[in-house]
Amino acid sequence: MSAPKTAPETVPGGPASAFRIAMGTGGWLVAAFLALPILVVIPVSLTDTSYIGLPKDGLSLQHYESYFTSARWLGGTAASILVGLAVALISTVLGAAFSIGCWFLGNRAATIARWVLIVPILVPPVVQSLGFYRFWVTLGLIDTWTGVILAHTLLALPYVSISVFAALANLDPKLPQAARSLGASVWRTVWEVVVPAARPGMITGAVFAFIVSFDEIVSVLFITVRRVETLPKLIWEGIQDNIDPTIAVVATVLVLVTLVLAGAVAVRRT
Amino acid sequence: MTDAILSIRNALKTYGETNALDHVDLDVAEGEFLTLLGPSGSGKTTLLTAVAGFTQLTAGTVSMRGANITSLPPEKRGFGMVFQGYALFPTMTVGQNVGFPLKVRGVGKAEIRDRVKECLDLVQMAAFADRMPSQLSGGQQQRVALARALSFRPQVLLLDEPLSALDKKLRADLQWELKALHEKLGVTFIYVTHDQEEALSMSDRIVILSGGKIQQAGDPETLYNRPRTGFVANFLGKSNFADAKVLAHLPGAAACDLGGAAVEIDSPAPPPVGTTARVALRPERIVLGAAGGPGVPGRVAQISYLGERAQLIVETDTLGPLLVSRPTWKAGIHPERDLPVTLTWDRDACVFLEEA
Repeated sequence: MSAPKTAPETVPGGPASAFRIAMGTGGWLVAAFLALPILVVIPVSLTDTSYIGLPKDGLSLQHYESYFTSARWLGGTAASILVGLAVALISTVLGAAFSIGCWFLGNRAATIARWVLIVPILVPPVVQSLGFYRFWVTLGLIDTWTGVILAHTLLALPYVSISVFAALANLDPKLPQAARSLGASVWRTVWEVVVPAARPGMITGAVFAFIVSFDEIVSVLFITVRRVETLPKLIWEGIQDNIDPTIAVVATVLVLVTLVLAGAVAVRRT
Repeated sequence: MTDAILSIRNALKTYGETNALDHVDLDVAEGEFLTLLGPSGSGKTTLLTAVAGFTQLTAGTVSMRGANITSLPPEKRGFGMVFQGYALFPTMTVGQNVGFPLKVRGVGKAEIRDRVKECLDLVQMAAFADRMPSQLSGGQQQRVALARALSFRPQVLLLDEPLSALDKKLRADLQWELKALHEKLGVTFIYVTHDQEEALSMSDRIVILSGGKIQQAGDPETLYNRPRTGFVANFLGKSNFADAKVLAHLPGAAACDLGGAAVEIDSPAPPPVGTTARVALRPERIVLGAAGGPGVPGRVAQISYLGERAQLIVETDTLGPLLVSRPTWKAGIHPERDLPVTLTWDRDACVFLEEA
C-alpha cells in the first residue's frame, strides 16, 4: 500500500491550500477504504472467542494453533499451492507457444486467434463453470485434480498469452529472418531468439496464472464434490458451516505472505 | 559471364495480379559491389529476399556457382544479411550476437571468442563486446550487425537498405567504411537502396529496377552519362528532356533540330533520319552565357542557392523551362532573377533515349 503523494506538508514550496488539503484527505480516505477491510482480519484472527469477531477479553493464538495442526486446512493449502504451480507451468507453456506462434504468423488469422483466446476473460465465471461442469461430466473429470488443473489452466491461458504478447509487441519482426540468414533453423530461431525475448512475459504470465488458480472458487464449486478441496473452497465452506475464526487466520497468513513477497520484489527492484 | 557467383534466370514473382519481379535475369560477378537501385515497389527488395531465400519465386531459378539453390532454405544458403532495422538479438550481448552464427555452426568456444574479437575490430566495436544492443546508437548497432553478418565468412553479403535509418552525416561516414570493408574482404556485396547518391558512391555496378524489371545495369559513370531511358535519366540525378528531330547522320553523331535550332548530338547509334527522339540533358552540362551570343536564349526565372552550387530555372522560348546547375564560385555572369541569358552545351551533353 503506497501512501498518497498529495499530502500537503510533503509538497515543497507550496502553501497548504484548501485544494491540497481536500485532495490529501481524499487520498488518505481512499487508501483507508482499500486497506481496512483487508487489515481487519488481523485482529479477528487473534480473537479469544470461538466465533468470528473482534477480541473480547484478550488476544489469543488458539486459532493459529488450530490452523497449523488441522490436516484439512493444511491439506487444502498445500493442494491450492500445488494446483497453482501446475496451472502456472502448463498454462505458461501453452500460452507462450500460442503467442509465439501468432507472433511468427503476424497475419489476420493470428489476430483473430488472439481474440478468441481472450474471450474466457469476458465470459461470466458462472457461465463458464457451467460449461466446465457439463463437459467434465462427459469426460469423467468431476471431483478430480486433473479436472481442476485443466479448468484453471483454461482460465489462466488468456492472462499468460496477453503478457507474452506484450513482451513480443516491440520485438523486431525481422529477427527470425536475421537468425535464419545467419544459419539457424526455424526451431533454433524460436528457442534462442524469440523465447528469450518472451521470457519476461512468461514469468509475469506464470505469476498471474498462479494467482488466478490460487483464488479461483466458482469453477471448483461446480466441478468438485468431496475428494478435491482447495483453500478457497475450505474458506467458503468454513464461513457457511460454522463461522470459524480459523478463516481469519488463513486470511492473515495470506495477507502477510503477499506483503512479504511484494516487499521482496520492491526491494529487489530498487 | 563465367565468373558469376550468383545467377538469376527468368525470375518471376507475382502477388495476385501484379508482378513484383517480371522475368528478371541477372548475373553477379565474384567480389563485386552490386547495387539494386529503384523506387519503392520496384522489386529490388523482392529480388534480394529471393536471393536470400525468404521469397519463393513463382518461376525462375537462382543458382550459386552453377548449383541451383532456388528451393534451398535461407539457413542453408550461407549468405550474410544486414537489415535496415539492424535486427540485433535484444537478449544477447554484442559479442553473443556476433558469435551466434558461429555457435549455430558448432564452432568451438575459443575460436568463437577469437573470431568475434576479429570481426568487432573490423568495425571498430571491440570495446563494446559486453554491451547490450539497446545501449548502442543506431550507427553502432549497424556496425555490430555488419560484424555479425561477416563473422561466419560468407561469400555473399546481402544488405537491405542498411543505412536508411541513420542520419545523413553518419550515413556518409558508413558509406566510406562499407566501401573500404568490401575492398578489404573481397566478399561479394549485393546492396539494396532507393538512395541514388549511395548507389553512385559505393557500387562497382548498379542495377536500376522499376516495375519489377531491370531498366539498365552498368557501372555508375555509364549509367549517369549514358542513361538508356527517361526513367534512368531522371532517377539517377536530374535531367532536362527535349524532343530532337533527326535530320542527318554524321560519323558518330547526328544532326538534329532541337526546338528550331540546328545542333549536332554525339551518338554511336543515333535514331533513324526523319524520326523524333527524346533526349536527356544534365543540368550541370548547360553553360550560362551573356545574352546575345550563339545558343538558346532564355531568362532566369528562379534561383536556388545550395552552397557550392546554385540551381537555376531558365525559361526558354524554344525548349520550355530548363534546370541549370552551376558552381557558385564560377566567375563571369552573376545570375539574378529576370536576367536574360544564353544557354549552350557541348555536343556530347545530350543523350538519345529509348522509348520507355
